[in-house]
Amino acid sequence: MNLDYSVLWGEPGLLILQGLVMTLKLSAWALSFAFVIGLAFGILRWLGFRLLEPVCWLYVEFARNTPPVVQILFWYFSASYILPPWMFLQLRDFGYEFGAAVLALSIYHGAFIAEAVRAGLNSIPKGQIEAARALGLGFSQSLGHVVLPQAVRVIVPLLISEATALIKNTSLAMAIGVVEMTYQFKHIDNFLFRGVEALTVITIIYMVLCLLTAGVGTLLNRHLSRHAQPQAARPAVLTSE
Amino acid sequence: MNWERVWTAANWERLLVGDLFNTGQPGGLLVTLALGIGAIVASTVIGGILGVMRSSERKALWVPALLYIQAFRNVPLLILVFWAFFFPPIIGLELSRFSSVLLALTLFTGAYIAEIVRGGIRAVPRGHVEAARALGMGPIQVLMWVVIPQAFFNMLPALAGRYVVSIKNSSLAFLIGLADLTEIGKQIGARLMTAPIEIYLTLFLIYFVVNRAISSATRLFEKRERFNRFFLRV
Repeated sequence: MNLDYSVLWGEPGLLILQGLVMTLKLSAWALSFAFVIGLAFGILRWLGFRLLEPVCWLYVEFARNTPPVVQILFWYFSASYILPPWMFLQLRDFGYEFGAAVLALSIYHGAFIAEAVRAGLNSIPKGQIEAARALGLGFSQSLGHVVLPQAVRVIVPLLISEATALIKNTSLAMAIGVVEMTYQFKHIDNFLFRGVEALTVITIIYMVLCLLTAGVGTLLNRHLSRHAQPQAARPAVLTSE
Repeated sequence: MNWERVWTAANWERLLVGDLFNTGQPGGLLVTLALGIGAIVASTVIGGILGVMRSSERKALWVPALLYIQAFRNVPLLILVFWAFFFPPIIGLELSRFSSVLLALTLFTGAYIAEIVRGGIRAVPRGHVEAARALGMGPIQVLMWVVIPQAFFNMLPALAGRYVVSIKNSSLAFLIGLADLTEIGKQIGARLMTAPIEIYLTLFLIYFVVNRAISSATRLFEKRERFNRFFLRV
């Protein structure tokens, strides 16, 4: 076993750092879209519109029960057939692989977040929203000022584990050629045959990223629940983690 | 949409069972199921042991378990697959593609199952353990006959979710060139070139059916009486 970590100084190390930047960019975009999608679908499912219910169910169940990497391949190969031309052109200018990866990851994790949001909203007693309406708040006001803040407090741990899962899943974007950290590992392995050395560094970086996210999440959770009364059991929702 | 080009008998054969009897080439679904079920069984064993270690009060037991769980949960599975694929040759070990994916999947899922097992054990009332000890049972006996049967029932929904995730995760095998369901689908798509939507929707459908079957099968045992009758024979 001869491992020589000094080969990573210089260009290979820079490649890994570039990959890290791409990983962070991908995570940030996908995470923000996933939260938007998750919030929208979670609220929609909570409201329970008779007409939209099958559509929401189909989306959530299919997105949760199929592999993220197949979803990435699906959007990569069929976005040009599915999306309207103007949207596709925008996506192409944005960087097609990157856009497809963001789309797929945010749709995949959005479904899990939607379930978490719905469970959080369901855990808030109906009396809360009725009281808010009785006090004269409009529907969106009572949702935004009364129900959602309480629901978010309940589901913060779920959202955090979803965020770590998303950061980990960005590594799948290498399947369609997004030049993020895992892709750079393959690249270094192909050119220098020093795969394991690069892999060690990348493993450590991922670990630090995930532990940091979890740490920030714990702090956030502590901050949000500082005034909370002892809560009932957290809703049992499966995360993708 | 030209489904008739995708849904041909030959394509279905490659996707599902493969040409087992002539060339011995297994179909994509068979490889995926073998990986998934192998990982499920092995990681339940590993996760069970680690989970029991994690809930122990002895430092020599829970610290290694905690380190294992944190190390394997905070790394993408794909990285572990690459470790299992690239590292063994360096120390002179030859692993096939299948076994390296299986190894990575098992170690990864084991860490999650350990956490589930720990949660399940923690939900067992402390009084039960003390009562069993007071009746003269040894620690292993208490674990086997009092803690695990109760914890297993509590863990069932979470375990089902994890099993579904393992089936989904086995799709990473295609990134190191194993001919699993995803890889076969990708090959068919690459040959047809004009029907990506149809072929990937077909893949979604197959994964969906398999995963829903697993979660419905475990949901059967969420009824206490049926669980007891089946697993505990009472």
